[in-house]
Amino acid sequence: MIKIKNLEASIDDKTILKGIDLEISAGEVHVIMGRNGSGKSTLANVIAGNEAYEVDGGSIAMNNTDITEMSIENRALEGIFLCFQYPVAIPGVGMAYFLRSALNAHRKHQGKDEMDALEFLNNAKAILSELGLDDSFLKRSINDGFSGGEKKKSEILQLLTINPKLAVLDETDSGLDVDALRTVAKGVNKFKNENNSVLIITHYQRLLNYIKPDVVHLMIDGKIVESGDMSLVEKVEKDGYSWLEK
Amino acid sequence: MIDSIKKSSIEFFNTNGLPSKKLENWKFTSSKNFKNFNKSSSLDEIKKIESDELSIVFINGVLDKHSLENFKFADLIEVKNLNELTKKELLYCSESFLNESMFNLGVSEFENGSYISFKENSVIEEVINIKNYFFENGQNERVSSFNIFHINERSEISIIEEDIKENFSIFNLKLNKFICENSSIFKHGKAYNDDSQTHSLSYNYYQIEQDVALNVDSMVKSSFFNKEFIEVDLNKVGSDAKINILNLGKEEQHVDNNILINHKAEHCTSFQHVRNVLDNKSTAVFNGKVIVAEGAQQTDSNQSNKNLLLSLESNAFSNPQLEIYADDVSCGHGSTTGALDENSIFYLRARGIDYSSAQKILIKAFAKEVIDDFSLSSLQDISEIALDSWIDG
Ligand SMILES: Nc1ncnc2c1ncn2[C@@H]1O[C@H](COP(=O)(O)OP(=O)(O)O)[C@@H](O)[C@H]1O
Ligand SMILES: [Mg+2]
Repeated sequence: MIKIKNLEASIDDKTILKGIDLEISAGEVHVIMGRNGSGKSTLANVIAGNEAYEVDGGSIAMNNTDITEMSIENRALEGIFLCFQYPVAIPGVGMAYFLRSALNAHRKHQGKDEMDALEFLNNAKAILSELGLDDSFLKRSINDGFSGGEKKKSEILQLLTINPKLAVLDETDSGLDVDALRTVAKGVNKFKNENNSVLIITHYQRLLNYIKPDVVHLMIDGKIVESGDMSLVEKVEKDGYSWLEK
Repeated sequence: MIDSIKKSSIEFFNTNGLPSKKLENWKFTSSKNFKNFNKSSSLDEIKKIESDELSIVFINGVLDKHSLENFKFADLIEVKNLNELTKKELLYCSESFLNESMFNLGVSEFENGSYISFKENSVIEEVINIKNYFFENGQNERVSSFNIFHINERSEISIIEEDIKENFSIFNLKLNKFICENSSIFKHGKAYNDDSQTHSLSYNYYQIEQDVALNVDSMVKSSFFNKEFIEVDLNKVGSDAKINILNLGKEEQHVDNNILINHKAEHCTSFQHVRNVLDNKSTAVFNGKVIVAEGAQQTDSNQSNKNLLLSLESNAFSNPQLEIYADDVSCGHGSTTGALDENSIFYLRARGIDYSSAQKILIKAFAKEVIDDFSLSSLQDISEIALDSWIDG
């Protein structure tokens, strides 16, 4: 699905990613854990193509297509979806309009007809009810005045509407109460199938009680220093990260 | 009476000349192009305009009486020539206008101004279209006009003004006075969806009495120079004035709003919301002032100016001001100027929406926030269409 080779990236001349190698195959769930400031969100943003970051070396390939230089929107159309850690509020742009524009951009790219308003609405309503959200959610402006939980659910609503190939969840679990966490996890599990992939960025175990990862990576100072199975998560919860530092 | 007013006005203009940048309301506005225009002569031929039953037509600033023959609510109005007015106070406009050179020039030059009075208890649900037609008479003419609308007690009137003209160069110097008597409701919408050659300078004075609800909604798109003065006197208790303005500027256009709200009585509310979207080398000026007089307790006022700059060469000058001489009041004001938010663009693009569409969505969202506050839904529709074509153009 995605193949990242020796990726280096910086912001404002400050090097953050210092050679990341990561390969995720279709059907897999990977987790990246690491302390605050280790570069997890930077990696997520660089995968999504955020132009605020400079790629200084290495490459990212999506299904054997090099996307390192690809525009943000084209990556999205190729199947990359970032669940933002801090989604921006955009007053004045309705959720329904936004979701339909995003969905139709994808459909157009896939050579499909645009979805009409009614079909879209029925789809969206089905997803909303699974997320425990009222239909009126669609009438609100993007993330405007949303609670923390609503913002994360809004990201999941977008994920399920667009149905990408790779979902990168940047701290989608943080700041959620147990109910909201369960709802979000349910949404991710609904998305997940053997043809797509999930990259979960977190620093807690809690989401992983609901979504079982295939591979766990530990990140320190812009590098993946350890990869393994679920037992790594338990070790980090117990011992922290200092044992990884030489 | 008019003759003596005209005489002192021309004296004022001759003494003071064109407004200079030393004046607060002209600090960022150049009047040098005004010299290129000469006083218009009256139209040689009589223009015939077909008008519908909801329209009142003005031709080069002068009421077209023919349009009243079809007018559905002709029974509810009384029309006079300003020459016939005997009460001087009906002609009075604000002190600050009287100190404006260009206002004085307009007063000295207008001919055949009309006084249109809506009788008491005239409740009209339909929106009345005020159609201002302009015809070219000579080159680079300055057309001065002065018209008064009187909304009498308990009347409810909605109007939308539109300027209609071919593509020629003109200086439209327009003076208007609106009197809203007790318990009236007046919605004044304006759509300037013009070609790019017009110089428009307008002075609008609103005299507001007790328990009045006033809305001024305005959308200005594409005119070379558009400077508007709005002054509202809230003379008696319980009135509410809401002003919502959207200006769209491109190329070297200049849009300019000068708003003064005088809270002279208790328990009045006022709200100003002006948004400018500026592309290329366009400029916008916002001079907004609220004066709360001594004793105007329980005043609630808010002014907001937001400017969206789409190019590095566009400019917005914003000057929101408050003068408060009462103690029990709530007054807010604020102004922001900035480019499109990069994070918002990233967010939309990350969902597969291309860069140019993302920009358009955000421009529209910015402008829509004022349009949504317009009190007249038909003006909302006109504005949205104009906005879409402006964004795509
Ligand atoms: N926009 C930015 N400008 C400057 N420094 C940044 C910016 N974003 C992140 N950083 C820095 O990059 C480092 C990694 O940040 P981030 O990727 O957000 O870490 P994490 O998500 O793992 O907490 C931090 O030291 C942070 O201060
Ligand atoms: Mg982070």
